[in-house]
Amino acid sequence: MPDDQSFDLAGCLDRVRLRDQTAARELVEHLHPLVIRIVRAHLPRRVSEEDLAQDIFLKMFTRIDQYQGSVPFTHWVSRIAVTTCIDQLRAQKRRPELRWADLSERETDVLDAVITNENDVAPDDALAARELVGKLLDQLKPEDRLVIQYLDLEQKSVAEISQLTGWNQTLVKVRAFRARRKLQRFYRDLIEKEKT
Amino acid sequence: MSPHEKSWHRLVEAARRAPRAGDEAAPYGFSTRVAALAFEQAPPQASVFGRMALRAAGVACLLALVAVGLNYSAIKGAFEDDSAVAANDDPVAEVVNLGS
Repeated sequence: MPDDQSFDLAGCLDRVRLRDQTAARELVEHLHPLVIRIVRAHLPRRVSEEDLAQDIFLKMFTRIDQYQGSVPFTHWVSRIAVTTCIDQLRAQKRRPELRWADLSERETDVLDAVITNENDVAPDDALAARELVGKLLDQLKPEDRLVIQYLDLEQKSVAEISQLTGWNQTLVKVRAFRARRKLQRFYRDLIEKEKT
Repeated sequence: MSPHEKSWHRLVEAARRAPRAGDEAAPYGFSTRVAALAFEQAPPQASVFGRMALRAAGVACLLALVAVGLNYSAIKGAFEDDSAVAANDDPVAEVVNLGS
């Protein structure tokens, strides 16, 4: 999270509204860690993270006069980032059904380990586990994917997700419930097909 | 909790242990490029002009309505005269009149 205490955000925003390019540069540098974390968590395939971050910042500057201050500025920017990522995910075709044959050797090892419950996943395989989770999440709708990503991978609370996305808490819970059900089905199918 | 749910939780737990990817600071030149692109877009005068144009259109509509209201009798009279003239010029009426 950007360090709001050492950075005069209000002053910087005032200068940006007066079209001060130095202030705009400072604002981008200040917010980049926040934006790039959201981009990396929800990056669509074949899209460069730098291009997506640039789109988000350009949208932010275009709409900066609409910012009323009713929510913290970082939440407002997060919502722009989340919406832009969802739009990009919607624009790409959904991944076809995930099959065992689509998994790399390491991913199948990880899956074997979690199914059999005999061995813990090796620390070296954490990246493969993340890849595998990403492939499973890619089969969900962008909004569902985002909720599961925040809840299960980033362990954020429903209230935090509500702040980041602008969705009310009931909507977040409903989406999480539906997404979990779909994800369980994909996951069960993947495992069952391997067994047969 | 079903065995599938348990294994999903184990998988997610393992995925969480993966290190975060890369540096989070803006790459060299990124902020300069974005700031330049942002201010290269439509200048604020354009949006002010847009807002003023909308107001101007509203005022113009209002003035047009007031003008119609003030001159209503003259406009109505003009149409009535036209309809009288039209009735006189009606070729069917002329043919009927010739026949009678």
